[in-house]
Amino acid sequence: MHESDIHDLSDDADYAVASKQGSSSMTRADDSKRSSYSDLEDAEIVYLKDNVTIHPTQYAAERISGRLKLLKQGSSLFMTWMPYTGQSSNARLSGRDKNLYTIRALSFSDIQSIRRHTPTIGWQYVIVVSSVCAGLAFPPLYFYSGGVREFLATIKQHVLIVRSSEDANLFLVNNFQDPLQKTLSSLALPGSLANRTPSSSSSPSYGNLEDKYTSADGHLSSMQQNNKQRQKSHDPARDISIQVLEKFSLVTRFARETTSQLFRESLVDGHGPNEKRRTNWASKEHQSQEMTSNDVEIVPKKVPVPSDPLEFDKLSLVWGQPRQRPLGLQEWSTFLDSEGRIVDPNALKKRIFYGGVEHNLRKKVWTFLLGYYSYDSTYAEREYAVLVKKSEYETIKNQWQSISPEQAKRFTKFKERKGLIDKDVVRTDRSLPFYEGDDNPNVRLMHDILLTYSFYNFDLGYCQGMSDLLSPILFIMKDESEAFWCFVSLLERLGPNFNRDQSGMHSQLFALSKLVELLDSPLHNYFKQNDCLNYFFCFRWILIQFKREFEYEKTLRLWEVLWTHYPSEHLHLYVCIAILKRHRAEIMGEQMDFDTLLKFINELSGQIDLDPILRDAEALCVCAGENGAASIPPGTPPSLPIQDSSIYYQDDSLL
Amino acid sequence: MPSRRRTLLKVIILGDSGVGKTSLMNQYVNKKFSNQYKATIGADFLTKEVEFEDRLFTLQIWDTAGQERFQSLGVAFYRGADCCVLVYDVNVQKSFDNLNNWREEFLIQASPSDPENFPFIVLGNKVDVDGGNSRVVSEKKARAWCASKGNIPYFETSAKEGINVEEAFQVIAKNALNSGEEEEIYLPDTIDVGSTSQQRASGCDC
Repeated sequence: MHESDIHDLSDDADYAVASKQGSSSMTRADDSKRSSYSDLEDAEIVYLKDNVTIHPTQYAAERISGRLKLLKQGSSLFMTWMPYTGQSSNARLSGRDKNLYTIRALSFSDIQSIRRHTPTIGWQYVIVVSSVCAGLAFPPLYFYSGGVREFLATIKQHVLIVRSSEDANLFLVNNFQDPLQKTLSSLALPGSLANRTPSSSSSPSYGNLEDKYTSADGHLSSMQQNNKQRQKSHDPARDISIQVLEKFSLVTRFARETTSQLFRESLVDGHGPNEKRRTNWASKEHQSQEMTSNDVEIVPKKVPVPSDPLEFDKLSLVWGQPRQRPLGLQEWSTFLDSEGRIVDPNALKKRIFYGGVEHNLRKKVWTFLLGYYSYDSTYAEREYAVLVKKSEYETIKNQWQSISPEQAKRFTKFKERKGLIDKDVVRTDRSLPFYEGDDNPNVRLMHDILLTYSFYNFDLGYCQGMSDLLSPILFIMKDESEAFWCFVSLLERLGPNFNRDQSGMHSQLFALSKLVELLDSPLHNYFKQNDCLNYFFCFRWILIQFKREFEYEKTLRLWEVLWTHYPSEHLHLYVCIAILKRHRAEIMGEQMDFDTLLKFINELSGQIDLDPILRDAEALCVCAGENGAASIPPGTPPSLPIQDSSIYYQDDSLL
Repeated sequence: MPSRRRTLLKVIILGDSGVGKTSLMNQYVNKKFSNQYKATIGADFLTKEVEFEDRLFTLQIWDTAGQERFQSLGVAFYRGADCCVLVYDVNVQKSFDNLNNWREEFLIQASPSDPENFPFIVLGNKVDVDGGNSRVVSEKKARAWCASKGNIPYFETSAKEGINVEEAFQVIAKNALNSGEEEEIYLPDTIDVGSTSQQRASGCDC
C-alpha cells in the first residue's frame, strides 16, 4: 500500500517557510484596477481584503492570490473573490485556470456555512459551503494578510449567522433553525473538505474517490436544473448562484487534472508500472481502465460503458469521510460520567457513525443505540431496569407457554404463527457457529423470543425477515430478555416494514425512487424507461437492512452505523443509492430490464465492500441535503411511526 | 448468436412458506438440495435452457416469498408469466387448503389474457418425509382438487430426493410454451435501439 495520510499541508514545515515568504513579499494592494471586474457596480463595499489566496495544488508557485470583498446591495450581501492579473508567481497557471476560481458574486442567501480553520503553522483560512447544492464547498481561502475575524464580524453585521453549537469554528448562515441545517452542520463536512482539496492530498485513493464521484454528475446537473427552475420563478437574483455552480464543474475538472499531475509526480519513484496509467487520469478513454487498475475499487466491466457526457465533466467536491477505527473500551469510558450517564450522546453517535464499535463493546453500546436504555440513565438505573424488564419478559413469554396442546388445537392463529417461526428459525444463519448444529439452544432462544414478540405485538405478529433482524441482536446480547427488549426497540422503528399492507416498505421504496431522481437523474430516467420505478429489486435490502447482502460481521457494523441516525434517519436509502451508483454503468450499459436487474442485485450479495459504500452514502446524503430530506415522506421507516394503535392492524383472517 | 432468437418462458412458483419452493427450483436447475436454504425475501429466479421441438428456450423460474403478507408484491413479479406452479406440503393440511387462495391471487395479480385456460401445475412436495407416514393430504384428494379446477396436471415430488422433479418441470415447460401468453417473447434487438437513443437524448441537456 502506498497510502499516505491525508493531511493539511498548511501544517507542514515547508509550508510555513512559504508562508513567511508569502506574507513578506505581498503587500497590501489597493490598486482598484486589479479587480476591475464587478457585477455589482453600485454595491457598497463593506469589507475588502487583499492577498486572499487559493491553493489549487501543493506547489507554492501555483497559488492564486486575489482580493476578497463583501458587497452590500440593498438588503443583500454578496461575496466576491477576484484573482489578480499579471502576477508573476503564477507563471505556471494560465489565465483560464485562474479564472476558474473566480467568485464573481456569491449571494449570502446561497451560502450555507463558513468554517474557520486555524492551523498551528500557516495562515488562517475559511471554507465556504454553498447551499445551492447543499454541501458543495468552495476551495479554501487563505488569508495571507489576516482578517478572518474581521471578515466574519462584517458578515455578522449584515446577515443572520450563528456559531454551530457543536463546533465553535463553524458558522451557519441563514436558516440555522431549520433542523436540516443542524444536521448538515453536525456532519462537520466543511472541515472534512479541508483535507480533500487538491492541494492537500497525495493519497492514491484520492483520484479514485474523484472518479467514483464522476457518477454523481447526474445529481449535480439535475440540481442545477431544479434550482434554475425553482429560482427563475421567484428570484432572478439567485441566478448568480447558478453561475457559481456551473463554474464548479470547471473547478472540479481542473482539480482532477491537478490530481493526475500529483500522481505523475509522486509516483515517479517506486511505482513505475502504474505511472503511465496515472498520467492518463483525466482522459476519458482511460478512465474505466484506471478504475480496474486501482485496488480500492474494482468494478468489472462486462461491456464498455456508452460514453455519457454526464459521466466525466463534473463531480462533487464532497464525499464521505474516511472510516475510522471502531470505538474501543477505553474511549467508550470517556463518554460516560461517574454514574454511567452518556454525557454527549451526539458525540457518541457521531463517533460510532464514522467507525462503528469494537465487537466486545457491542453488547453495551447497542442497548443505547437501539433505545433500550436511555442515554441519561445511570449504572444503577440500568441494573434495576434489567431486573424489571426480565420479569416483564417472563410474563409475556408465559402467555404462550401456558397454552396447552389441547388449547392449541382450537387456537389456529397461534399454531400457524408458531409453525411459521418454527420453520424460519431453523433456516436462519445456521452456518454461523452460534446457531449451527442440531438442538442448538440459541435456535430455541430465537424461537422463544420471536413467539414472545408476536404476543407482545399481537397485531403485527410474526413476519418473515424478523428472524434475520433478531439473529445478530441475540448473537450480541447473548441474553434472552435483553435480546428481546433490544429487538422490541428495533421494531419500534422497523416494525412498519412488516405491515400487512406493505405500507412501510412502499413508502421507503417510493422515497428511494425520489432520491435517485434527485441524485442521479440519468439512472432515474433509465429505471423509468425500463419499468423499474417500483424499486422492488431493493426490497430485500430494505426489509432486513441489508442483512443478506454482507458478511455477518459487516452487517453488525452497518447496523450500528445506521442506528446512530447520525446524518439522517434514512441513511439506509442513501446506502441503496450508493450501491446502485457503483453499478450504474453496468445497469445502464448492459441495458438491464427489471428481471435482469433483480437478479443482478440479488447476486451482489456478499460482493459489496461496506466501507466505501458508507462513505458514498454519507456524501450522497450531504449532497441531497434539504432536497433529499424533502423527498422522504414523514413517518417513513425507520422514523418513529406516528402514534396510532391501528397502524399494524388491518383486517386479515390469517396470522 | 446472430440470428437465432431464444424464447423466454416465465414460470412462477407459489405456495405457503416452507413447502419447498426454493428447493424444487434448485433441484431442477442445479440438481442440488440443501437443508440450509433461507426463507426467500422478495423474489429471485433461476434460468435453465431447455430444448423442445428442436427449439431452444430459456425457462425462467421465479421463486417468491411464501408468507401471505408479501403477496401484494406479486404484481411486479407475476406479470408476463407463462405458467404457474402451485406447491403444497403433503404433510401440512393448511398448505393444501391454501392452494385455492394462491391460484386466485395469482389470476388477480398476473391478470393473464385467458385466465380460464392459463396453465397451472400442482406439486405435492416432501413425499419423502418420514417414509410417507406423516402425510396428511392423500393423493386422491389432491387429484380431485386438480380435476375440479380444469384438470390441472399433478405431480407428487421430493425436492430432497429428486423424485419427479425433472418430470414435473418438463410438463411445466411444455404447458408454458402452449400457454398462448405470447406477448412476452424476448426481442432484445428492438428494445436496445429505442432505449439507447432515448438515453442519449436525455443525457445531452445537462
